[in-house]
Amino acid sequence: MAILKTFFYLLVYPGLVFLIVYSLFCEWFDRKTYARLQNRRGPLHTGKAGLLQPAADLIKLFSKEDIVPEKADRIMFTALPVFGLAIILTSAMYLPIWNYSMTKTGFNSFPGDIIVLIYLLSLPTIILFLAGWHSTSFFSTIGGVRVITMFFGYEIPLLLSVLSPAILAGSWRLAEIAQFFQANPGLLSVNVIGFFIALAALQAKLERTPFDIPHAETEIVGGTFTEYTGRKLAFFRLITDIEMVVGSGLIATVFLGGFPGGIFSSFIWFIIKTLFVIFLLSVIKAAFSRLRIDQMVRFSWYILAPLGILQIFITLLVKLKF
Amino acid sequence: MSITIPIGPQHPALKEPISLKMTFDGEIIKDADIRLGYNHRGLEKLFEGKSYVQNIYVTERICGICSHSHTTCFVNGVEKLLGIEIPKRASYIRMLIGELERVHSHLLWLGVAGHEAGFESFFMYTWRDREIVMDILEESSGNRVHYAINTIGGVRRDIDETQRTRILNSLKILKERTDYYKNLGTTEPSFVARLSGIGILPREQALSLCSVGPTLRASNIDMDVRKDDPYLAYDEVPFEVSTADTCDVLGRTVVRIKELFQSYNIIEYILRNLPAGDIKAKVPRKVPAGETVSRYEAPRGENIHYIKSNGTEKPERLKVRAPTLANYPATVAMLKNGFIADIPLIFAAIDPCICCAERMVEVKDTKTGRAEIKTFDELKKYSRDFYKNHKKIKKDTVWPF
Amino acid sequence: MGKKLGFFIPELWRHIFKKPATVDYPFEKLKVPKGFRGLPVLNTELCIVCKACERDCPAEAIEIRTILEEEKKFQMTIHNDRCVHCGQCADVCPTNAMTLNNEFELSEPSRWNMKFRYAYTRQLRKKSDRNVDEKDKEIL
Ligand code: SF4
Ligand code: SF4
Repeated sequence: MAILKTFFYLLVYPGLVFLIVYSLFCEWFDRKTYARLQNRRGPLHTGKAGLLQPAADLIKLFSKEDIVPEKADRIMFTALPVFGLAIILTSAMYLPIWNYSMTKTGFNSFPGDIIVLIYLLSLPTIILFLAGWHSTSFFSTIGGVRVITMFFGYEIPLLLSVLSPAILAGSWRLAEIAQFFQANPGLLSVNVIGFFIALAALQAKLERTPFDIPHAETEIVGGTFTEYTGRKLAFFRLITDIEMVVGSGLIATVFLGGFPGGIFSSFIWFIIKTLFVIFLLSVIKAAFSRLRIDQMVRFSWYILAPLGILQIFITLLVKLKF
Repeated sequence: MSITIPIGPQHPALKEPISLKMTFDGEIIKDADIRLGYNHRGLEKLFEGKSYVQNIYVTERICGICSHSHTTCFVNGVEKLLGIEIPKRASYIRMLIGELERVHSHLLWLGVAGHEAGFESFFMYTWRDREIVMDILEESSGNRVHYAINTIGGVRRDIDETQRTRILNSLKILKERTDYYKNLGTTEPSFVARLSGIGILPREQALSLCSVGPTLRASNIDMDVRKDDPYLAYDEVPFEVSTADTCDVLGRTVVRIKELFQSYNIIEYILRNLPAGDIKAKVPRKVPAGETVSRYEAPRGENIHYIKSNGTEKPERLKVRAPTLANYPATVAMLKNGFIADIPLIFAAIDPCICCAERMVEVKDTKTGRAEIKTFDELKKYSRDFYKNHKKIKKDTVWPF
Repeated sequence: MGKKLGFFIPELWRHIFKKPATVDYPFEKLKVPKGFRGLPVLNTELCIVCKACERDCPAEAIEIRTILEEEKKFQMTIHNDRCVHCGQCADVCPTNAMTLNNEFELSEPSRWNMKFRYAYTRQLRKKSDRNVDEKDKEIL
């Protein structure tokens, strides 16, 4: 029975099926918000209000011809998308939506899981870099190099900003951090700066405007994905979508007080809070123009990183007084 | 280590095929080489086979955006050859459509600049507001893109009172929106960061490389055919030549936005002072022998048509110098020492219209460097043979194959 | 020029609850203004076969063929696949037989569906018309 339950967890809720369905919904939500912000309509005709459009796109990609460039490293080129999807699905396991009760925590909640989650979230970036590198086309290589350059920019601010709630809560365990803030919602306001840093860093991680430098269409065609077609490209899109859900889940956990309650209310809270974060991400996407790679790195190191340190200082001060 | 890669002929940053062969050192451009000829349509040959009236519509199709510029340039030249004066009202309506076209072209350019810089929302908003001008144009001329308002000796349609008030009302909205874009385009930090300081074209270089239009004016040179060599009734209309002194892409944006305001004022002046009278003079179909040059300030810069007639219904030669062609040498200079990320912006800043500038293609054998004249059948045979004997591309071949 | 971060956000926010500016086009018909230059149509009753439209059409989209000279039977083909909708034919037509209507959804899967044929007998001017020439009078 316990095994069945674990399988249910892994495959249906909150595992594979839920993640895929919900990430497609999030993509729809993102596209729709983005369109409305630009005074457009967004997806409209597939399903009700275009709800099935992301799924349709995915299915279309799956049915397309799959080309591996002659010069590319065949094995790596094929394996990378699958690895990426596996990694990102694994990372989703550490969201506290798995263990709504602190008394019966599962195998995936332990002190330090916040570090594991961040680590797993940064792996897809490496996958993207390798994918660009192994495509060997010029545009992909530049894209790959840009992915890595950007990675050095935003990763530290992300870590700094996510650590400050952890310091405040005095725990390295996501579920405990969430619970701490549920008990003291007033303290959430301490982390406002950190919240925005994390948003910016997540935006960069997801490679969305203003940080869509690695696949800047008008500069380097498809960037990392230039040579990818069909199924493999579909995998990458799925990776980005799920990464968006997991990333916003992480932000919602540490900055917005997690997902309290039992299985149902935590589900509802998860939806509300992640959608809120995704909404903010869409606004950022609509409000800025793409930066140049040097501007992005300078922005991260001159603005985001010092702000992150400032945030940690504030947190420490609060903690001392508290 | 420097590498040479092709941008184009097919590339998302390019709306039309052109090949930019770039030499990079890391992310920095060391050299650029522009190759034309992918979009040659043989228009100049076509002109020679059509009568003057038909040629109005052919010149209109040189460019999809400055369609009115080319017809006006052509028609002005033909009228000069005929030695006739067109009615005042006709030249005012020509100017009106010309300025509306400038507004639509500059709003379009703003959107394109936003798109090339990755600022999709800016693109969406400017293009939404461009629809206002497009609607005016559609209403007053019968089509959104090819207005076909010109005819030899005047214009084909009149502006009536309802259209006049409608245009004046729309102008209010447009002014307000343009003011907003002016603030947005010059204050939004991420956008300004992308535009300022790239594609520098100093004053002396702009002059020596013969650039035209907003590219030239952004290098602080106030040259505008409308002021320097007024055609139609531009000498009666008060307006200023807009310039900027930053010499970069931001300057070109500012010049275009300033020109938008100038155009709004000109349109308003024209509508308030529209002279009464005929809109068309009677003209003969045959044009006396002679040659002439006609200049026109298109939204992208100076447009030159050279017309030679031999006394028949058809021109003997019609040569078109589109503004984009004049700006290519400057583009190469601007691209040097820029970043990869700036290529689309610098290139878009001249507002390139590639097919307008394609005048001839010379097909050269890459091995011998010899140019040949081939008939169409020979060319077909050549391509069949080429693909029959075509070897598979090897793994480590570098472009061009 | 003060630089403001997020200058665009209020404008974006204002539009999120507004009606979209785009039109749900194929499902929602668009209106075209009066005087739109659409499909050229011939009013066979008015055409006097002066061939001015054929001569001036820049796209060579009008083709007038004589079927029976003595019975004054003609056939005009408007090659709408070549037509550039300039309206020159309507401009030169002395009798306003050629007009451009406001249809703009003209695409067809095959160019052969876009040829419009009009077979007609050349109309003679009405009796009341003062300028009826002698030859026509005879036939009348
Ligand atoms: S509208 Fe123009 S192209 Fe079309 S048939 Fe008439 S003259 Fe020819
Ligand atoms: S349609 Fe008009 S222009 Fe053409 S042949 Fe008939 S009468 Fe002449």
